[in-house]
Amino acid sequence: MTLKILDPTVSADAAEDTAVAKRVGDLDGKVLGLLHNGKVNGDHLLELVRQRLASRYGLRDVVVVHKPSASRTADPAVLDRLARECDAVVTAIGD
Amino acid sequence: MTLAAAEVEVAGWVEAIETYCERGWTDGLPVVPATPEAVRRFLEAAGRAATDVVLTETTRRRTITAEKIAINAVLAGCLPEYMPVLLAALEAMADPTFTLHGAITSTGGSATLVVVNGPIRRRLGFNAGGNVFGPGWRANATIGRAIRLVTLNCLGAMPGLLDRSTQGHPGKYTYCIAELEEANPWEPLHVTRGCRPGSSAVTVFAAEGPHNVLSHYGETAEEIIVALADTMACLGSFSPGESFLVLAPEHVAILVRDGWTKPRLRESLHARARRTRADLKRGGKLAGAVEAGDETTWVHRGHGPEDIHVVVAGGGAGGHSAFIPSWSRDRNSLAVTREIPDSHRGSHPR
Repeated sequence: MTLKILDPTVSADAAEDTAVAKRVGDLDGKVLGLLHNGKVNGDHLLELVRQRLASRYGLRDVVVVHKPSASRTADPAVLDRLARECDAVVTAIGD
Repeated sequence: MTLAAAEVEVAGWVEAIETYCERGWTDGLPVVPATPEAVRRFLEAAGRAATDVVLTETTRRRTITAEKIAINAVLAGCLPEYMPVLLAALEAMADPTFTLHGAITSTGGSATLVVVNGPIRRRLGFNAGGNVFGPGWRANATIGRAIRLVTLNCLGAMPGLLDRSTQGHPGKYTYCIAELEEANPWEPLHVTRGCRPGSSAVTVFAAEGPHNVLSHYGETAEEIIVALADTMACLGSFSPGESFLVLAPEHVAILVRDGWTKPRLRESLHARARRTRADLKRGGKLAGAVEAGDETTWVHRGHGPEDIHVVVAGGGAGGHSAFIPSWSRDRNSLAVTREIPDSHRGSHPR
């Protein structure tokens, strides 16, 4: 006697938009965004990244955003602002 | 009723059980194989279509239908009439204030504590008495387990992959209790949280394990409150997050005899469950060195008395209550309560 049993798993839904953003090449004259995840030390890590990148490129500006909680996703308004104002964004979790 | 889940054909029941284990579709314990017939019975008992969306988790982009929940309920060993409780608990976990993705993946290693209130406790045979956190009661054991299986199979929180718990705790297998409303002269939990008296409800809470509050020789409310407040102030779990207190019937009887109400108890515990900033720094709970003023600056557990949730459960003998801290160290994940709709009362006979 054979038996049919059912798969209990769920896969991720297909992403609505999987297009990769246009690459920036270098950061000369560009605006860099830094998104701190909210975990301890992520801000220190991002500051080191900023210093390294600033020593290699002539950054036009840097936008620093701190998420209030690592457990929650970034507010869509924050992501929209980063997308609008920045040419490239680095995010870090620290911990 | 048409089902969408992929079918696997196996040689028999033992092979079915082994197939679930081999594919990593269990919590480590063998499961009850989910046949299409069983899953249809569960959906009918719930009054849900297979395609009904019960829960969405946006971070990992998961859409979970009633069919997938029914499959996992069968695997967990549930009865069909448990479905309304399970569905209400999962719908509560999908509330944004629960922060589902964080709660099931964090190093903090929480499990979902489920507290059941109302007439459905008796109808479905939940244990609210002796050994309330322990084994022996099918409704408690399998509904808690079904939530874990949904977390593993549907939300992708597999240990070592998406679930990065440093240690976790045993409640991750199952963590479901009922309130012993018959021994609670105050309001039951769900009524305090806004549900109608006489309704049935579930409350979910991303929680650490229970911490025992032993006060055997306490003969006055004051002694019991001292022990409760001290446990709530212990450095290991100290945070501004919410708390659950599961009070033993013996402790509640003494509190009530001495004239304590639930609101007054919550106020008193919030006032007393506190540490100095200096203590928090010495224990690595706050960064930095102890500074002037830290020895006399107090930090309380929770933001206010309303962050302390009181439940009565346990056996008639013994001065053992439990303190259950939130996984969340602040207000990032909060307890959520949902009434179980009348139409979900599960009319199927056992």
